[in-house]
Order: sequence, then C-alpha cells, then structure tokens
Amino acid sequence: MIPVGIEAMSVYGGAAYLDVRELCEYRGLDIPRFENLLMWEKTVALPYEDPVTFGVNAARPLIDGLSDDGRSRIEMIIACTESGIDFGKSLSTYIHHHLGLARNCRLFEIKQACYSGAAGLQMAVNFVLSRTSPGGKALVIATDISRFALADASAVREWAYSEPSSGAGAIALLVSETPDLFVIDPGAHGNCAFEVMDTCRPGADTEAGDADLSLMAYLDCCAGAFNDYARRVEGADFRQSFGYLCFHTPFGGMVKGAHRHLMRKLYKAKPEEIEADFQQRMSPSLTYSQRVGNTAGASLFLALAGTIDTADFDTPRRIGLFSYGSGCCSEFFSGVVSSEGQQRLKALRIDHALSGRYRLSLADYETLLRGNHAVRFGTRDVVLDHKVVPAAWPVYQTGRRLVLDAIVGYHREYRWV
Amino acid sequence: MDSDAIFVVIVDTIREVVPELTDHRIGRDDSMADLGVNSIERNEVVLLTLQAIDLDLPTVQLHGPHNIGELADLLNAKLNG
Repeated sequence: MIPVGIEAMSVYGGAAYLDVRELCEYRGLDIPRFENLLMWEKTVALPYEDPVTFGVNAARPLIDGLSDDGRSRIEMIIACTESGIDFGKSLSTYIHHHLGLARNCRLFEIKQACYSGAAGLQMAVNFVLSRTSPGGKALVIATDISRFALADASAVREWAYSEPSSGAGAIALLVSETPDLFVIDPGAHGNCAFEVMDTCRPGADTEAGDADLSLMAYLDCCAGAFNDYARRVEGADFRQSFGYLCFHTPFGGMVKGAHRHLMRKLYKAKPEEIEADFQQRMSPSLTYSQRVGNTAGASLFLALAGTIDTADFDTPRRIGLFSYGSGCCSEFFSGVVSSEGQQRLKALRIDHALSGRYRLSLADYETLLRGNHAVRFGTRDVVLDHKVVPAAWPVYQTGRRLVLDAIVGYHREYRWV
Repeated sequence: MDSDAIFVVIVDTIREVVPELTDHRIGRDDSMADLGVNSIERNEVVLLTLQAIDLDLPTVQLHGPHNIGELADLLNAKLNG
C-alpha cells in the first residue's frame, strides 16, 4: 500500500479575539474552579469575515508553498463545515476561485457537525489510496465560525454557558501520497455513531442544544470509537500505542475529562497517573485550542497542529486522534509524525499569527453582537462596513488576507487586503 | 442494593471528585449543578458510581434526572430492572 496522509497543513486562527475569563465575569457567570476548564481566549469572526475567507486565509500559505506542479495536482477541494452559506453552492467553489486553482477539480462540501474535518480527511485519504488518479492531491478545508443573531437579552442568557467556549477557525490539509507531515495508519480507525439530539444548527444563524447531553455522548463515543479501533488494530492499547493524543476540543477541560474518563474506564487508573499522562501526552494539543475556542470541524486539527509544533519528535511518534460531531458521529484514528514534519509546520509560525490578532474590548464585542452588522444567512445584497471596530481594520490588512467586501445578488465578492 | 444505598455511593463519590464539598450537607433533592459540580465533574461522579456498583451503561442513558435522588432511583432501576 502506498503511503498516504497529510503532506502539508496550515491554520487560520482569526484576526480578533476575546479574553474568556473577562467575558465570563462580564456575563456574571459563576463558574467554580474556572481554571479547570482550561479556556483562555476565543477567536471572534469579524462581520466582514465568513467561512470562505477563513478557509482561503488558512489555505493561502499552504498553496504559496507548493510548486506549480504540486498546485496543478490538486484535483479535489473538500470544504468541511457546519457554517454553510448556501444550501446548494459549496464553499469549495469560492475557495477554488480565490486560490487560483485549475478547473479539473472536484468541488463539494461535507456536513456532520464537528466530525466534518475528519470525514473530509478520510475521504481524501480514500481518494489517494484508490489510485483512480495516481499522484492526485486533495485539499481538505475545515472552516467554522459562530455567528449568532442575538436580538435580545433572553437570547444572550440562553447562550450564556456555550458562549465562552465557542470560537472560529479554519485549517487546510493537503492530502497526498507524499505525507511529509502526518503519515496516516491506513485502515486503523474506529467509529461510534448513533442518533442523539445533543447540539444542532436547526435554523439560519441559530444553534440549539443540551450541553450535558452532548458531553455524555462525547464520552460514550470516545470509549466506543476507541474500542472499535482496538477491534481492528491488533495489540492497540490506549496507554502504550500512542506517544500523543489529540481530541476534538470544545474546551480544554472537556478533553482532560474525556482522557480521565477513558483512563478510569479502561484501566481504573489512579488520579496521579492520569494527571501525569495527560500532561505528557495531551497538554501539547491544547497549545492553540486554548487560544481560539471551539472551532468545530477544524478543532481536532488545531489540536494536532498544537501537538506537532510543541511536542517532542526526536524520534517519530504515533498520535491517536479522536473526532466527535454532535448528532452524532465519531472516529478514532492514528498516524505518525516525524521531526521533518515538525520543522515544516514550525515554519508557518502559527503562534506568531495568533499573537497578532486584535484583542476586542467587551464594548467592541457587544457592538459586533448586538449591532446590525451580522450578515444573516440568505442576505441578497449588502456592502460590508470594514470600520465597524475601527482599530481592528488596520490589524486585519496583512497584505495576504482575503476579506468580504459585498454581496450582490447573493454572489459574495472578496478582495485581498 | 437499593436506591438509598446507591445515593450514599453517589454522595461519597461527589466528595471524592470535589473535595470542597466534603463537609457540605447533601440531600436527595439537591442537584449536582446547584452544588457547583460542573459538567465534567458530574460525569466523573457518574462513571465512578457505575464502577462502584458494577454497572456498565452508556452515559447517555443517564441523562434526565434533575437531582441526586432521581439519579439514584434511575441507577437502581437499571441495576435491578
């Protein structure tokens, strides 16, 4: 079997953020042991950003780093999102256009809540393994933003406990038979999926759900997906087989809780061992996740980027990954990262980009939330006001960023700034 | 094992997971959320209780109880049902 996996990856963690503790205090949320939730910052999408700009801004550095030949072999763009802007036209069409890629390319979108990114990755892997187009590459872009049209105080109250963790972000993965960054273990996967109404996006610009039920489903799936993985992979052991672990990260405390849940369930491990194991194998995955919040479909890969950038890869290490999407579907899978892969990702300086974001004041944030600046689903015509938070605009214009300028007859118009 | 015995196990587990509640009075009508036990901690209490009473169930099946007494009743029903 040919090698397959992630040839390159890049990340867009947004242009603006909010301090989560400051937000919680402002909302009067009484959260005992707040530090245990492991949440620092959340990325906030500005009104002139959308899932297309997030996706393109994630992919641009990756595409710029390819040779002409490499670029010409991208034959599939899979947009993975729960933040779609049209029921028919996929985000991939816009992304394809603004990355200037060739026409012999499949363009489509995948949806299953936060599982979408892993689904996209596995479908891309299957494309490469099928050898129906030898040497062909697939670009998988997971892109999600939270945008809520919060019209009144009661809507804000209802959102109160999920607001601190919700974020925005995008990742781009180039999948091919030259997996320089992450060599996937083909066929080594486990799934756990069933119908449950835990969280959903049932209407334009709305989210609904039961956070408790969602956590329960996440934990059941974590155990179920790993058990299915272990059924397929002889000798697989949660403690021994993986040098590092990356889980879908709604917030840091949740993955710590899930890790603890598995360690207790599988081994009845003691608290000291669990804590040490978490610090060693999982804390690197929180590096970026703690700074952007829940990035839905992209979340697992933000966790992977954090691990690859900061952990020890003096010798190649196997990473265990767990993706969960409400509704629900989950997957446990694995792959190997080496030192060369780490060097490639470090060159993107993700940390530096996150530190360059504009810090929103709570007044700025309220302006964005309550004002008439949110572009609602189905908007036919609008011209975006780039000065809505005046100080954020100069920060946004890095010279290599796509921005939404206007919507004309439902068509979205962008430019580079 | 009956619901009252399971209730005692749950309370002991709550005190283990959240040591701050060691001396706090906990009754059947109390909800863990109102006691300040967050969602991650609540699930840990549930898992440790299931292990203590030797019951293996998907956690989603335990969604619903509004207080500790109702949780004890539900676990009792699952254990002896």
